[in-house]
Amino acid sequence: MAHFAIADETQLVEAVRAAREARAPFEIVGRGTKRAYGRATSIANTLDVSALSGILAYEHDELVITARAATPLSEIEALLNQRQQRLGFDPADWGPLFGERANAGTIGGALSANTDGPARLRFGAARDHLLGYRAVNGLGEVYKAGGRVVKNVTGFDLSKLMCGAMGTLGVLTEVTLRVYPRAPESATLIVRDVGTEDGFALLRRVWSSPFEPTGLAYIPDCAAKPFALGDCGQGAALMRVEGAAEPLKEKIAALRTLLKGRALDRVDNGEAILAQIGAGAAFLGRDGDIWRLSVPQASAASCVERANAPIWFADWAGGLLWLGLPATSATALRAIGARAGGHATLFRASAESRASVPVFQSESAAHATLTKSVKAAFDPLALFNPGRMFEGV
Amino acid sequence: MLFAPPDPDILARRGKILAGLRGILSDGVVSEPAGLAAFDGDALTAYRQAPLACVLPRTRDEVSALLRFASAEGIPVIPRGAGTSLSGGALPRADAILIGLGRMNRIVEIDLENRCVVAEPGVTNLAIGRAVEKDGFYYAPDPSSQIACTVGGNVAENSGGIHCLKYGITTNNLLGVELALPGGERVQLGGKTMQPGGLDLLGVVAGSEGLLGIVVEATLRILPKPPVTRTVMAAFRDVPCAGLCVANVIAAGIIPAAMEFMDRRCIDAVEDYCRPGYPRGAEGILLIELDGVEAEVTDAVAQIEDIARAAGAYEFRAAADEAERARLWAGRKAAFPAMGRLAPDMLCMDGTIPRGKLPEVLARMAELSERHGLGFCNVFHAGDGNLHPLIIFDVMKPGELARAEEFGAEILKLCVDVGGVLTGEHGVGVEKRDLMPLMFSDTDLAQQGRVKCAFDSASLLNPGKVFPMLSACVEQGHMHVTGGRVPYPNLPRF
Ligand SMILES: Cc1cc2nc3c(=O)[nH]c(=O)nc-3n(C[C@H](O)[C@H](O)[C@H](O)COP(=O)(O)OP(=O)(O)OC[C@H]3O[C@@H](n4cnc5c(N)ncnc54)[C@H](O)[C@@H]3O)c2cc1C
Repeated sequence: MAHFAIADETQLVEAVRAAREARAPFEIVGRGTKRAYGRATSIANTLDVSALSGILAYEHDELVITARAATPLSEIEALLNQRQQRLGFDPADWGPLFGERANAGTIGGALSANTDGPARLRFGAARDHLLGYRAVNGLGEVYKAGGRVVKNVTGFDLSKLMCGAMGTLGVLTEVTLRVYPRAPESATLIVRDVGTEDGFALLRRVWSSPFEPTGLAYIPDCAAKPFALGDCGQGAALMRVEGAAEPLKEKIAALRTLLKGRALDRVDNGEAILAQIGAGAAFLGRDGDIWRLSVPQASAASCVERANAPIWFADWAGGLLWLGLPATSATALRAIGARAGGHATLFRASAESRASVPVFQSESAAHATLTKSVKAAFDPLALFNPGRMFEGV
Repeated sequence: MLFAPPDPDILARRGKILAGLRGILSDGVVSEPAGLAAFDGDALTAYRQAPLACVLPRTRDEVSALLRFASAEGIPVIPRGAGTSLSGGALPRADAILIGLGRMNRIVEIDLENRCVVAEPGVTNLAIGRAVEKDGFYYAPDPSSQIACTVGGNVAENSGGIHCLKYGITTNNLLGVELALPGGERVQLGGKTMQPGGLDLLGVVAGSEGLLGIVVEATLRILPKPPVTRTVMAAFRDVPCAGLCVANVIAAGIIPAAMEFMDRRCIDAVEDYCRPGYPRGAEGILLIELDGVEAEVTDAVAQIEDIARAAGAYEFRAAADEAERARLWAGRKAAFPAMGRLAPDMLCMDGTIPRGKLPEVLARMAELSERHGLGFCNVFHAGDGNLHPLIIFDVMKPGELARAEEFGAEILKLCVDVGGVLTGEHGVGVEKRDLMPLMFSDTDLAQQGRVKCAFDSASLLNPGKVFPMLSACVEQGHMHVTGGRVPYPNLPRF
């Protein structure tokens, strides 16, 4: 068991080369807020990359930012805020759910774990924001991929692969992201006391409207308390729209027309509530395992009904279901997910459970073979987080 | 560029290969020279080469069977949609089977509830939009070639279009594909969900130029039509001023649905061709489209007018009605054919630069044009800095093609030098293959090459495209390419 900390990219290369010589894999750790996410591994060594921190270039008028991979997200967001800009994928703070500090994660961790939050609905996922990167691969080489401009099809789009790879393909050292202007104002509207099916139908109607919602969530009665939304009856549908004062007024009016006959209230602290939704706050302070089901929106209600979780809620107009169910529900949940054309991830569970139950839904044989070949294309000796995603990957 | 000599062993087996293909497809094997001539290249017209055979499957099982056969026989395969690639992506080889996907042109499912369309690869880009327009939806990536180009080609080239500034290019609007791998097995990558599990293989398939697999089905995101759409035109007496206007609009936090530039030569050509009503005499115009709710669009138009006038616009007008709006865009979409009437041959470049560098790069391109003694015009997706200089030349005049290519390469080098890239939407293909070292080191390219090998270890899919190297799929093997020099210099190459 050894713990290495590197100070810069040069030391990182040395560390990878040494690991290569010794055939000794390591766990890549930034600030460690999501170490309990992913398949449980028993990697003896850890590589602390948190020193790879700092913003390298922020070209606000180009809507691009470049930072070292372990730069704290909070630092990036604070800088973007000064210019009324934002990361569109709306990275959520999962730290507290895993018993870690709040607001402590890094940009590299957010990208590697796909921590997309509510606004992902409008602006796309982490992968849609990473324009290019530098990394060290399993051969101990520094290489770069992508570029620093929004529109680029030069060579393979390796940036997409790095997002959500859980650090299994290499150690990111620098990332370049596109950013979006932040609308001057936002409004979060709530429809109270709607049942599941009705609530999802309502959210889908708004999702299919041209008012560019940046958050569409459904909070059933069982999960409402931590969000302090007042009396929600059977459940609440939440929708956020954005714009300057006049356009925002127009959007709100348009939503009222669209949802005629529903009482549409405005909540005061909408931004905070949506951040809590991204962070899975319904499960804060509660023990127990958590699953996330990624399903086509129109299947959300039936999946929820079949899953029958005592506590759950939904983001992305029903495209993402957070479910409080034990790891042992794997077979049932995976069948439910697969039947809907989606998949289930064991989001939070004990290390034992995450060793015995596949955390990410397993792939068809041909797909799994391809995944292994791609892993080997970056990391032939399986030095980086081996097993964190699938067995051997 | 020289063509690689075909593998004599494959040519010698032609009869047997054709028989094998006919065993798989009862009709749809093209082998006679006249038939093959229809498939001997794409929209990079300077290069032509008929394939050994062309096959036109109707089903995904047939695609798999063809791939299985080709891989067992060790024959290269070139996927082809409509052949509108501008980078030679669909250029055949004499020893390769061309798989044309045009007959697989069914829309499989229109799923409005989940806001997506599932389509076979041969469906045209335009047909996707047409299929959902009556329900108030559209498909955002809209290449100018949209009446012809296919969904499969769009995925392979990761194509963009006028409306990609706000809504992203193909990859950002692609939810899933079914991919046939070189050995014939098929995998479903992504689907109708927002977050696929596992490694994002879908992400690397988009833009892989037919090198990783054949797309046999794609699931595409559709968007609700905005309630208000308004198009404005700003005219400038000076090209760099238009560039400044673009940079300032973006810097002001406005992301228009589209922001397109055309220079004087192009304005004149288009006016002669279809009279969209552009101001003759302007050195450059910008067409800017805003969409959203009424107040949003009104605000943005007012802000943009201020920015444009401050940057030197001498005329600024909004399309009065839908007919005028359509006319303004028809002119933009006709830019290629209109220029085509003026020039015997054109080379369309496709670099992207940071938007702030537009004034500088536009000025330097004019100098380069003079130095090379070749005319060019500029029509491009200004909002995302994606340049499309059209170099005008005549292939029949000795040395002009080479000079045009040299001029083009210098433009792309300039793009890379100012922090941009070689291609924003047309792909590398054969055209920019040997320029890849301008942007990527040996190590960078070797990493991409290993991903190719992970999908296609025998290098049978679209070989000779994208990479300036003869790749060998060994674990750590990578070849050195420095300063444009290539390994095995004695081997003839494209
Ligand atoms: C007049 C004109 C205007 C254009 N405007 C634009 C524009 O605005 N924006 C833009 O981005 N492009 C534009 N293009 C380029 C071109 O239209 C696009 O690249 C288009 O996506 C190619 O589609 P295609 O069906 O013609 O593909 P093809 O040219 O047949 O093939 C292109 C590449 O895709 C591969 N391929 C094709 N089908 C498949 C499949 N099913 N599976 C795997 N690989 C496949 C081929 O091997 C090849 O590498 C334009 C071209 C022309 C001629």
